[in-house]
Amino acid sequence: MKRRDFIKSSIALSLLGKQVPLFAYNRAKYTLQRSTQWDTDRIVVLIKLNGGNDGLNTIIPTNNDVYYEKRPNLAINPSDTIMISDEMGFHPSMSPVISLYQNEKMGIIHGVGYPDPNLSHFRSSDIWVTGSNSNEHWNTGWLGRLFQLEYPDFPDNSPEFPLAIQFKSANLLEFQMDGTNAGNMVFDPEVMYQIVTGNYVPSDNDPPPQTAGGDELSFIREVDLNTFEYSGIIYDSAINGTTTVDYPNSNISTQLALTSKLISGGLNTPVYRLSQSGYDTHANQLGTHAELLSDVCEAVQAFITDMENQGLQDRVLVMTTSEFGRRVEDNYSNGTDHGTSGPMMIFGSQAQSGFFGNQPDLSNLDQNENLLNQFDFRQLYSTLITDWFGLSQDVAETVFQSPFETIPFIRSPLSTIKPIPVASTFKIEPAFPNPFNPATQIRYHLPKKSSVTIRVLDGKGCELKSYLQGVLQEGDHTFILQGNDLSSGLYFLQVESGGNALTQKVTLLK
Amino acid sequence: MAEKKISRRSLLGLDLNRSYNTSNLNPEWPTPKVASIYKKYLQEKLPVYQPDPTIEIPKKLNIPQSNRSLPRVDWNEAAAAHLLKRILPAPRYEEIQLISQQSLDEALAQILEDQPLPEPPGSWVTEAPPEWDTLSEDEILALLDTYNERMFSLIDWWIMRMTQTPVSITESMALFWHDHFATSHSKVFYPQAMFEQNQVIREHGLGNFKTLLRKITFGPAMMIWLDTHGSKKRHPNENFGRELLELFTLGVDNYTQEDIEEASRAFTGYVTNGLLTNYDFNTQVGWGVWWDDWHDFDEKTFLGQTGNWTGDEIINIILEQSETSLFLCEKIYKWYVYETVDENIVSEMANILVENDYEIRPVLEFLFSTEYFYDSALRGSKIRNPISVIQGTVRQFDLSESTFPDQFFLQIYHFLGMLPLEPPDVSGWAGYRTWINSISLPIRKLLSTSFIDGNSPLGQLDDTIDVIAFANSMYNPDESQFASVQMVRKCSLLLFGVPLSETMEADLLSVLLDGAEPYDWFINAPENNGQWNRFRDMLRFMMKKPEFQLS
Repeated sequence: MKRRDFIKSSIALSLLGKQVPLFAYNRAKYTLQRSTQWDTDRIVVLIKLNGGNDGLNTIIPTNNDVYYEKRPNLAINPSDTIMISDEMGFHPSMSPVISLYQNEKMGIIHGVGYPDPNLSHFRSSDIWVTGSNSNEHWNTGWLGRLFQLEYPDFPDNSPEFPLAIQFKSANLLEFQMDGTNAGNMVFDPEVMYQIVTGNYVPSDNDPPPQTAGGDELSFIREVDLNTFEYSGIIYDSAINGTTTVDYPNSNISTQLALTSKLISGGLNTPVYRLSQSGYDTHANQLGTHAELLSDVCEAVQAFITDMENQGLQDRVLVMTTSEFGRRVEDNYSNGTDHGTSGPMMIFGSQAQSGFFGNQPDLSNLDQNENLLNQFDFRQLYSTLITDWFGLSQDVAETVFQSPFETIPFIRSPLSTIKPIPVASTFKIEPAFPNPFNPATQIRYHLPKKSSVTIRVLDGKGCELKSYLQGVLQEGDHTFILQGNDLSSGLYFLQVESGGNALTQKVTLLK
Repeated sequence: MAEKKISRRSLLGLDLNRSYNTSNLNPEWPTPKVASIYKKYLQEKLPVYQPDPTIEIPKKLNIPQSNRSLPRVDWNEAAAAHLLKRILPAPRYEEIQLISQQSLDEALAQILEDQPLPEPPGSWVTEAPPEWDTLSEDEILALLDTYNERMFSLIDWWIMRMTQTPVSITESMALFWHDHFATSHSKVFYPQAMFEQNQVIREHGLGNFKTLLRKITFGPAMMIWLDTHGSKKRHPNENFGRELLELFTLGVDNYTQEDIEEASRAFTGYVTNGLLTNYDFNTQVGWGVWWDDWHDFDEKTFLGQTGNWTGDEIINIILEQSETSLFLCEKIYKWYVYETVDENIVSEMANILVENDYEIRPVLEFLFSTEYFYDSALRGSKIRNPISVIQGTVRQFDLSESTFPDQFFLQIYHFLGMLPLEPPDVSGWAGYRTWINSISLPIRKLLSTSFIDGNSPLGQLDDTIDVIAFANSMYNPDESQFASVQMVRKCSLLLFGVPLSETMEADLLSVLLDGAEPYDWFINAPENNGQWNRFRDMLRFMMKKPEFQLS
């Protein structure tokens, strides 16, 4: 049923005794056809670590001398970190999520950023939420455009649930569509339901003037009507929903607790955007950063447990984002200045565990002494569009105006149609899981039929084992490395085909 | 496992711009010990908003359809109302009448005239910071309470200035500069520093931008807020340098990361104790041992110019750039006109700013004299900020001398996201369409209408809108229309941004008359006559309309 029909037949009739008139003035008509039915009930909960999270003090490169040289005041000693391999450890405040990591419900994507990084919070945040290149200024959000492709007649014809829920009071550019915004802000659904219905005056078919004032009037009328229409279903979900754990007493926990209630209560909203403020640690960073990480990790751990208790774990994925990382070198205020790329974290039963990419290279920096990026954030978002929500590669490409290679961080991807490789080349994908125990798998792609040999090298590059794979067909192949007779440590896995060799670093943890 | 109930209080702790952002506090300001006590103190100080709403069933309406064209532009009541709505929280009817009866030049001379500086909120504004190390924890907590009260009284004091302002642009420009140089009291800590900054924007808000920028830059509040205080040579803190270029003067993308670093080197060696600084406004340099030890006296290359620049010299170079005047005038334009800028007008404003050696008043004088400003396309194109909606209602309906429940306005602005002296971050309030969303819009309606019946979610109000006095302030027996029609038209001139359409006029009349004929409604009806309740119904109806959110 069309949402507006539903509204007309229920709330409006019972409450007002008359129909709510529809507004369609000045609304852009979209010519794009819906390419795929958005029929998954999967949900992504995005948490922005607002201000620019210091990635190097989150996933700490414990055996990197450069890190300790450049951060005399801020570096975390290896003995203080929660070691997860012989070369890196988690910040001590991340202990609440260690169990998630150990139970393979947490993944980390290293070095996420974008080319030609901008060091302004406001610009860099805008780039992240619009999905533009750093030299472009777009005025719609990546999620706004995605919703628009799937619901071209929004808000006239749209689902019965809000497309996006947010906990910040400002309208988010991320949800900005062409002329309207898909975000719905929520705090206390019960109180809001009463306030909204008690203060709604239905509008007439009174066309707004064809002026700037008329445009703003249309915008406010739109928000007014949307708020009125959605307050009922949000209220129902909140009173039907439940939480099963004690959430800690922090702002981000409260946001996650309400998210849990709404999901549990049956609200099918696919995107939640949460945020935690305070990561702009220019001065006296240590204590502040520790508290922030501790708050967010405790909250996420409680939320994932809550989802599991309620059998919702396969429907919900949590992902952190941040507008940039921070400078490698600390400043003399015992803080760090704006940087570039940083690690993003994913949580949940459907999060492919382990690490994607490598610890950042601290000896190879850009002209501002900042980290180079390994992944583009649009690769993460493209993966959400295709592998998580099961929409086609074309949709992701339309949203970002160019194709971005996905990253295999979803355990059970919904995407059924794999894109045809444009230029087929010999390549290997990151090993999973990594670090591993007892086994890890590596996928590689052959551009043509050829013979393959896989070797295991030790940390110094000496060959330990060699596995002859024989002549294989063109296409994707998988190799599984059993670590039973290896000891803990760093190894190189080398795939050789037709005279070319590609190598991947893996770590065995026993 | 038992269900965990989410209490209202915990929901209200959500990030709705109502909670103090304690994570950006400097843990060493003013001393590490005080900072740690202060942080816990602030976290427990969250104002809590507890609405107690009642459900009202909106009136059933029988409304015909029609279209209506826009009125002609001229210097008349409608044009005067447009100007006053942009420079005041909201004008009263008699103010519109008086202004429209003058010539535009006379009106602008009055609006742009300097106002005397108001009495400060207390003698504490010049109080020296204590010797913190000599105080016990209890003494520190007691002083934090005092500071907290002073900060609240300072905010209240400013809100009252905005409400009780005469027909003048001074308060609106002060708010503009506060939004521009957005500084938060929770990090600055000392209320006297926030007061000093408020004095500066009040005193120089219509004057010279060079003077204003220097007074802000080297004032104690800004030095604490963006970490200039204590920034030392070799590893200077970039916080101030970046925001100076990005948000205060040049605008993003008009400089490089190297320029930020070089500018930051120049802004080293300046320190403050929260009241005084080591900056000398006469010599334009710092003094004392901090200056000698911490200032970077070496050569810097900033925007292509090389020299042993101090902070002041960096400001001089910035003011030589044409981007600065354009950036400032674009912001002024957005504050007073519309979100989408007109490049011709803005570049003319920028020319006037530079020709007048960065004097601000001539720019405003030009803008408000243009035919462009009064164009019908721009009427009602400003989305009102929370202060305009709430303080505007108080001012417009003559409640500004009334007393309100304790911390009434503080809680409202915490809730609606525009608490003065506590902007969301250094970029100020995002404004424009971010003011309106699925939470703020219904809350705006709830709060505005509470001035009619006195049942505010924040407590019972002492006074409610005196509808009879309000009606009489608008009524003119010499006009040919019925009193009811006069009320509808004049109320929409006051309360609605866009011109009154025929449909809306019919809607409002039908609420006001409730089945009676237009001539049945009398301005002299006694207090207990039911027609005054119909008048209240009409005001309530108007405040719930999207048109009320525009000016």
